[in-house]
Amino acid sequence: MLSAWLFISLCASAGAQQNHTISGFVVDANTSAPVAGVNIIGKDLYAISTENGEFQIKNVPAGKYRFEITHIGYAHEHFTIEVVDRDIEGLIIKLTESITSLDGVELLGKTEKRKTQELSTISVGVDEDFLNKNRENSLMQTLKKIPGVSTITIGSGQSKPVIRGLGFNRVSVVQNGIKHEAQQWGNDHGLEIDQYGIESIQIIKGPASLVYGSDAIAGVVDIQPSKIPLPNSFSGEVNLLGETNNDLIGISTGVQGRKQHWFYRGRVTYRDYADYKVPTDRINYENYIFELHENNLRNTAGEEINASFSLGFVSDNIKSETFFSNVNAKNGFFANAHGLEVRSSNIDYDSSSRDVDLPYHGVNHFKITNNTSYYLNQHTLELDLGYQNNQRDENSEPVPHGYMPTPPNSRERIFTKNTYSLNLKDSFNPNEKHDLVFGINTELQNNNIGGWGFLIPAYDRYSAGIFVYDHYKINGNFHLQGGLRYDVGLLETKSHFDWFQTPVNNPDGSTSRVYLQRARNESLEFSNFSGSIGLSYIQQNTTYKINLGKSFRMPLANELASDGVNYHMYRYERGNIDLNPEQSYQLDVDIDHTTTKFNIGISPFVNFFENFIYLNPTSNYYETLQIYEYTQSKVFRFGGEARAGINLTPELRLDAAAEYVYSRQTSGPKKDFTIPFSPPLSGLLSASYQFKNIAFLQLPQLTADFRITAAQNDIVPPEEVTEGYQSLNLSANTTVQLFGKGKPTQLRIKINNVFNTEYYDHTSFYRLIDVPEPGRNLSISMTVPF
Amino acid sequence: MKQKFEYIFIAFSLLLLTSCSSSDDPSVDEERPTININYSGGFPQACEILERGESYTFRAQVTDNLELAAYSVNIHHNFDHHTHDDQGAECELEATKEAVNPMIYIENFDIPDGSTTYEINLSINIPDDVDPGDYHCSFSVTDETGWQSRTSVDIKIQ
Repeated sequence: MLSAWLFISLCASAGAQQNHTISGFVVDANTSAPVAGVNIIGKDLYAISTENGEFQIKNVPAGKYRFEITHIGYAHEHFTIEVVDRDIEGLIIKLTESITSLDGVELLGKTEKRKTQELSTISVGVDEDFLNKNRENSLMQTLKKIPGVSTITIGSGQSKPVIRGLGFNRVSVVQNGIKHEAQQWGNDHGLEIDQYGIESIQIIKGPASLVYGSDAIAGVVDIQPSKIPLPNSFSGEVNLLGETNNDLIGISTGVQGRKQHWFYRGRVTYRDYADYKVPTDRINYENYIFELHENNLRNTAGEEINASFSLGFVSDNIKSETFFSNVNAKNGFFANAHGLEVRSSNIDYDSSSRDVDLPYHGVNHFKITNNTSYYLNQHTLELDLGYQNNQRDENSEPVPHGYMPTPPNSRERIFTKNTYSLNLKDSFNPNEKHDLVFGINTELQNNNIGGWGFLIPAYDRYSAGIFVYDHYKINGNFHLQGGLRYDVGLLETKSHFDWFQTPVNNPDGSTSRVYLQRARNESLEFSNFSGSIGLSYIQQNTTYKINLGKSFRMPLANELASDGVNYHMYRYERGNIDLNPEQSYQLDVDIDHTTTKFNIGISPFVNFFENFIYLNPTSNYYETLQIYEYTQSKVFRFGGEARAGINLTPELRLDAAAEYVYSRQTSGPKKDFTIPFSPPLSGLLSASYQFKNIAFLQLPQLTADFRITAAQNDIVPPEEVTEGYQSLNLSANTTVQLFGKGKPTQLRIKINNVFNTEYYDHTSFYRLIDVPEPGRNLSISMTVPF
Repeated sequence: MKQKFEYIFIAFSLLLLTSCSSSDDPSVDEERPTININYSGGFPQACEILERGESYTFRAQVTDNLELAAYSVNIHHNFDHHTHDDQGAECELEATKEAVNPMIYIENFDIPDGSTTYEINLSINIPDDVDPGDYHCSFSVTDETGWQSRTSVDIKIQ
């Protein structure tokens, strides 16, 4: 099982001294990424690799030594070396990841894993290998396999995170320490982040406002900065992806390099896909029947072009990286019913499955971040700066509606959002027992609107938070963490008038035509205390955690000040200026028992919302459209995940995971109903078999994932009951030595929905219009390193 | 012994986690209201032709298991052939054209408290000066819970 290999390349330098030094690097054999926290142990000699993978063993007398190399995430190795009369430098130790990990969800290295165990928050680490093996059409779909994580998908190319049934602005997405800010409140918005070039993601399930501020109620998807490349190195990779269901072609290529102190990274990604296919030839929605041409869900094609570049500097006490990225996407929406309004059109959608006609949206997300760490004695100062520009144009066919005449163009809604962020953090270790962290987060958002359809007002939002927490080591295996945070926020909405006139009845019986006012100049202030306290206890192979947290979310401009027709959803949406910040209390427990042979764990939670904000369908009308009003109610939720895995033989591993959430509104107009988009009970059974080398295929692995999802009968207006389903995915991966002696190429083949089952996902955006999930898909991907 | 306790604890928690059924709460209203124009008094029927200058009584039957709340009637032109009709009948449409002074009728009404059945009975005058051509008439109804049902019918004004 642990077929690791070891490369030793020696370059000796002259030295006159009696004792010598052995130094070098430990890297991952597959990715060449540095591996931190590796123990290199010889007789009376010892070293641990640093964050950059470097190690140094000093004062080595001449002689022959055997070193054991151990790391929890990698196969055990050893090497023998003879020190004669000079230092040994540039030793490169390549380690192969051991496959004792939970189905590829590898906790990040030993130190990272240990850190995770010591934290009382419930978190899962995802590494590049997991991302590569489970690559789907969008980042969040790739992460869906993790228990407790699901997605709201919009067509085949877009998705956004859901953690334990909560999504939208109740999950924070953080990249390089900066919160990703876009139009994430929107139903048809997807996450604008290139899913290539990501090395590690930390997913926190549970309240995390203490460190992450507003919105981190259900959890956080924290995309961490990539590791710094090795000195004097250059490496790169090309990722190729092809899919049959939507005829996707994807290519992404990245390079990174480092001199001594300066390093850089760059990446370009291009993806183009056609309409996706569903296992049905007609869609029946509210008595309207749409015939589908060759099972194509018409006009769901799209394309994505991303580029990023970063430049960094690292020395003994400073590390700084500036990252520029631009994500550009154009996605079509299902043409017959964008949202719920049923339309036919003169556009010949079926003439090509690759073109994008109306309705579609174009998104461009530009981001600059700078992360600087400064190490000063017992202090680590971290400064994160960010600027983001999110431009989103929603285009649809100009159609008159109500008193609105035919609009002049297709630009229905234009959003331009600028976000400036500044975070400062000081981690202070006064002694062995305490890890104190002080932090400040500040953010300025400026949101502008355009187009003929009004939904949310333009606004400026200023927010700032200050927090302190302590990680107190009671003893080696017993850790207490707690902290407090205070936030203030100011939201200024800007007035908005319709561009067309509406007849209004005057008290004297006459009628006048006026430009209706949709939003006013309002200024709203918010403040909030949040915090958390938790314990972790590690007893040999078992980790116990308990954590109590209070998190919050500032109401959004649309929740406070919407006042308009949502043409896509065919409803009238109205905000409520009196909404308070959402407050959520959550108790989490996690018990995990992991040995080399098997693992079992559960992570239940109980959650109470003082005032859950949601869009409530009322029984009233505005100009014949049903009025949906933002409302607050108390909500009680509980649920959790259970997981178990066993290595039946060294080759065969079986895993099972289940997730469940129960939600009830306990007050308000929808008392005793659930909350929108509640995920049903779901389980995932996986089996993976690790083969020995077969001809030129190195370590091929075969994995089958069988998902069983129960029906969701627990619904709230306007949702519909969704039937349960079962679906099977198969995947195989291997490495191949394609080009001489270079790094091996990784090959992956995946078949999703093997039986082409017609099923519905209760949390998919298209569920509302009765569109089933995609049919069978064969995808082939390849990573060629150089 | 400690190990044993651990497994019992985990097994018990698992049981707790999986035993919570997702069955529907009987106390909540999960039924949508219904709306129907397919009866002898229902008006307008599919492909109905309405004369300008005349008044017509629009009638539809609505029901709900608990309590009806409000209804709306919307008449708007279909000169661009966007289809709304769900009555099954295919009406012959005129050629597409630009709207000059189309008829727009957009009104909402409450239904008396406590009703579980109600007949929409609404007199609407077709003005003399509106554009003739293809129109849609859509009805919608809500119940007290906030469920909605809709139906629509293709009509002509001449």
